[in-house]
Amino acid sequence: MRVDEAVYVATDKVGDPIGFNWRGIAYLVKTKPVRWFARREWWVEAARVQRGIGAGVVEVEMWRLQASPSIANPPGNGSGGQFELIKSADSNVWRLVRVWQ
Amino acid sequence: MSNFVHLHVASAFSGHFGVTRPELLAEAALAQGSNALAITDRDGLYGAVKHIGACVKLGISPIVGVELVVIDESVSISNRVSHAERGRVVVLAHGSVAAGQPSARDQTGWAKLCRVVSAAQARRGNARGVSNKRENPVAIRANELAELLAEGGCTVLLTSDSDLGRAVTAADREAAESALTSWKKLLPQPGVLAVELVSHLTEPGSDRSSLQARRLLQLADRLGVPAVLTNAVRYLLPDDALTADVLDAARHLEPLGMFETQPNAQAWLKPPAAMEALAFEIADDGNRARLLLDTTAKLAERCRLDPVRDCDWGKPKTPEKAALGIEGNPFEMLWQKAQEGIEWRYGDLRGEQLAKVQHRLNQELITINKLGFATYFLTVADVAQMIRDMRIRIAARGSGAGSLVNYLLGISGVDPVEQDLLFERFLSTERTSLPDIDIDVESARRHDIYRAIFKRYGSDRVTLLSMQSTYRGRGAMRDSGLALGLEDDQIDQIAKNMWRFSASSFRGALESKPELAEFAEAVEADRRMNLLVDITERLDRLPRHISMHPCGVILGDSSLLHLTSVEPSGMGLPMSQFDKDDMDPMGFLKLDVLGVRMQSAMAYAVGEIERVHGKPLDLDRIPKDDPATFEAIRTTNTLGIFQIESPGQRELTGKHQPTEFNDLTIQISLFRPGPMKGNMIAPYLDGRQGFATPHYIHPDLKPILQETFGVVIFHEHVLRIFNVMTGCGLAKADELRRNLEQPRVAPLVQKFFREKAAERGYSKLVINEVWSILEGFGSFGFCKAHGAAFALPTYQSAWLKTHYPTEFMAGLFTHDPGMYPRRLLLAEARRLGVRILPIDVNRSSREYVVESAPKITSNPAERAIAVRLALNEIQGVSEAELDRIVGQQPFESINDFYYRAKPSRRTLERLALIGALDDLARASGDFNRGDILARVRQLNAIKPKSAAKSKIVIDEHQPMLDFEAFNAANMRARELEAMPSGSKPLSKEEQLRNELAITGLDFSEHQLEQYRPMLDAMGVVYSDELIDLRNKTEVLVAGVRVATQTPPMRSGKRVVFISLDDGHGCSDSTFFDEAQRRCSSVLFNTRLLIIAGKTRRTGIRGVSLEASNAWDLKELWRQWQAGKVTEFDSSSASA
Repeated sequence: MRVDEAVYVATDKVGDPIGFNWRGIAYLVKTKPVRWFARREWWVEAARVQRGIGAGVVEVEMWRLQASPSIANPPGNGSGGQFELIKSADSNVWRLVRVWQ
Repeated sequence: MSNFVHLHVASAFSGHFGVTRPELLAEAALAQGSNALAITDRDGLYGAVKHIGACVKLGISPIVGVELVVIDESVSISNRVSHAERGRVVVLAHGSVAAGQPSARDQTGWAKLCRVVSAAQARRGNARGVSNKRENPVAIRANELAELLAEGGCTVLLTSDSDLGRAVTAADREAAESALTSWKKLLPQPGVLAVELVSHLTEPGSDRSSLQARRLLQLADRLGVPAVLTNAVRYLLPDDALTADVLDAARHLEPLGMFETQPNAQAWLKPPAAMEALAFEIADDGNRARLLLDTTAKLAERCRLDPVRDCDWGKPKTPEKAALGIEGNPFEMLWQKAQEGIEWRYGDLRGEQLAKVQHRLNQELITINKLGFATYFLTVADVAQMIRDMRIRIAARGSGAGSLVNYLLGISGVDPVEQDLLFERFLSTERTSLPDIDIDVESARRHDIYRAIFKRYGSDRVTLLSMQSTYRGRGAMRDSGLALGLEDDQIDQIAKNMWRFSASSFRGALESKPELAEFAEAVEADRRMNLLVDITERLDRLPRHISMHPCGVILGDSSLLHLTSVEPSGMGLPMSQFDKDDMDPMGFLKLDVLGVRMQSAMAYAVGEIERVHGKPLDLDRIPKDDPATFEAIRTTNTLGIFQIESPGQRELTGKHQPTEFNDLTIQISLFRPGPMKGNMIAPYLDGRQGFATPHYIHPDLKPILQETFGVVIFHEHVLRIFNVMTGCGLAKADELRRNLEQPRVAPLVQKFFREKAAERGYSKLVINEVWSILEGFGSFGFCKAHGAAFALPTYQSAWLKTHYPTEFMAGLFTHDPGMYPRRLLLAEARRLGVRILPIDVNRSSREYVVESAPKITSNPAERAIAVRLALNEIQGVSEAELDRIVGQQPFESINDFYYRAKPSRRTLERLALIGALDDLARASGDFNRGDILARVRQLNAIKPKSAAKSKIVIDEHQPMLDFEAFNAANMRARELEAMPSGSKPLSKEEQLRNELAITGLDFSEHQLEQYRPMLDAMGVVYSDELIDLRNKTEVLVAGVRVATQTPPMRSGKRVVFISLDDGHGCSDSTFFDEAQRRCSSVLFNTRLLIIAGKTRRTGIRGVSLEASNAWDLKELWRQWQAGKVTEFDSSSASA
């Protein structure tokens, strides 16, 4: 399922996600998360690409998480699965973009 | 653990791939704490010397390799060659640092790397017919690679783009295992093969992902092949990835989005901590990760180069004595040759004069001997002698003209004693690098000379020099436009108006340049235009492609090809992958053999003089004080004269009014960016014309600065001032002069100068004043020897123009040496009274031949010789057609010409249109050009039988079908029969239009003449009338644009100079800011102009216009003909 929603993500001390809140439900990351960098088509989207603008116009940081609802949630809400998130380059804002539940 | 070394790094010298210059990469590596860094450019060692130089300077170890494609080439029984690509590998040279001892010159890792690269380049060069890089890449055959590395010397890294890496990405375990096994078999020696692991943190499982790297590691471990970690670096910083995208588009020749781009922005020079983190991510096991980093460090250790031991860094190399045909001591040989030169050059000198020359020679020889450069001078002299034996004109340029030895050995033609030039500016014991001797030869014979040099010294000692062209304004804009997928004509439109500014200031230029105003608006409105500006700025100054240096030849000993990699050049001869800046560090002797068209033009003129007048002429022995020559120069009609024909030099000639050879040296030296920026021209002219009393500061300086009225212009002046005031000697003085330009050491120079000058009793006031001049001198001055070397051909060409104008113009037409179009030369010839004969199929050839021509008037000034225009001016005429016409001359009739010369339809018609068949037709009867044209069209209408049958479309470039031979008499008779008569003759205007369209030359009359009624009505003045007008007279001039210049100005503001030719000479107009704005649309692109302005007297014979406005002449003509502009009003006819 494709989505595009801002989510709150909790990270450990090296910055790896350990859990997140989505649609009122807290999820916990179950296995080692996978990170990669995907590219962006700046020639289609960007307004300016001057020297020093940074790699943010070229690539985007992606995370794939295996996660399940935390036991703190009321039972019966949400289910586990695979989640893909984008972490924005300049701030700690995360967006959930794909979900396999 | 913090000493990670990057082993796979492409610099900006990986054309259209790498982004960062080697120097920046090395600095960054040092800043990250590394003690070594590799450079591994694609397909060559293009950036290697710069990398080594940067590493040496920074105190880290250089490592050098190359990234190459490997192919398996097998030849089947049917002789078909088939290729199987094995993909990309990195080949890293082993160094002698770890080995602890040097290897033989041909056994070093560096030598083997050079050979590997050269072999790959040669294979590509030999695969004929396929020039496309994608279909025929630079690639080494696998067996050749194995052979070259049979005893080690390099390590081959299998990249993720090798057959192994691709199989792993495709998750084809079997193929991956068989690929690696086959590599092991190919390169069985320990230490020669390794697997490269790269993680660019791409999506798991895809190319260059950590997962792929882990699978490679597992396979390598299983088969016992060492694995190393790199980051396959393409750029210094993540931000540079965007520039890499644009370079990828330029390489693919396709817009972004149309090809597979790099996966992300991770190929940057990551710091050690980041690389260690990658090792752990890939191995997923602490111990294995540490082993991986350890193996990488060991390989780096093995590859550290000792530049001196491995590359013979900095040690001058010249051909061996045997190759030069020398026996015994080279210095004795040099001494003997120089003595012979004294006989030759100063045969009639006696007494004190001769002693002075001898003394100077001894001093030079002592220096040469101390530096051990005797062989070097003998080498250059040998080449010079060889060129002269080929009967090719030769002249020296640059500081080499300051050497008496060069003069005596025939390398230079300028007498340094007479011209007061200094040897120390050229060579001194304070510097140990090989000096530059540049020689100018006839451009038309340059390639002959190169081939002769290869033949004489052997192809293992000689290579051509390469050069890297870099992205500048228009080129950067075009490739950026391509990357963004802009339309061609849109790009053309913008590029056309990019005029004299570097691409890095594109955005700034948008605001300040009026001709870019339209584009600036588009940038605000259009996102893609905005991106265009940004990426154009990013490309600026990046290396773009490699090509043959226009004049450099490297001469070495027989180890040359173990020290440099070579690739085939455009002319076929091998070319070093190093450029001119790499020569000194590598200790290579570079000889600049520069083709100068003026030398060809003069050689041609001398040949014509000897042929027409039947007497020999030695241009190098004409007197250098001919009054008629200087009188002719002073008229400022210097068109076609070497170095002083530009509008600026013409204006300067008007003010300067040279009377002797040294004046030419000074004038040539003054009109240079340095002296212009240093504001030397005005004080010099004031002194010369007596407007100001020369100020010499101190009587000791008067003998030095008298020639320039107290103005310090020449490097030689500075040397002498240092020498006189500090007693440091001229050699040391040149060192001081060089240090003046270096901000870091300049204070030391000042301290030395002040102390020593004070010791010698100069007052504080004098010292202060002299220092302020020396300090400001900086890089502004000019080497007098260079000016004098240029003044020689300047004088020689002026002499020829004065005494043999017809032969000289023929030389100019044939070799086209100057900055102006041929049609301006035609106008100048007409002005000089040189007679021009039209193109004639029976008399014209490929060259402009001087013909004897009966006088047609009783004017005693009329010459009995004329220049015949050449056939190759005809647009679209093919080489084969020229061969047939010139080879079959003479022709009896048009029919005869038609059948024997077999011109294409188009060429035949063009010949008729410009009158090249007129004389042929007249031989048969009284026919006009209209008749000839009608006849030619009849002939062109004949349908070749076979073509009609097979319905082949006739290409108008193809010669027509050969009919059976006719005999000449028969043909003449047929011609008379067939020739139409009584056709309407062509009008003058039609003739002129045809001439201009077909040859670009208005040879029947000056093209401005057709507009004369309007020009007269408007009161437009001729250019040669301007000199008689009062200063600040408002005038109109008209003409054909012959030059547009935007020279550097002291103020930094742009000034545009436009020169117009009106058949009476040239007028030069200056456009300042406001005038530029007023006529921005015609400023750069309109050909026929009318300019309004005020006269500005600039000297005795100098006048120019300060323009206020300009219009398109043709546009005004249309309006005038339509009766719209009856009386000229400068406000109504706005452009």
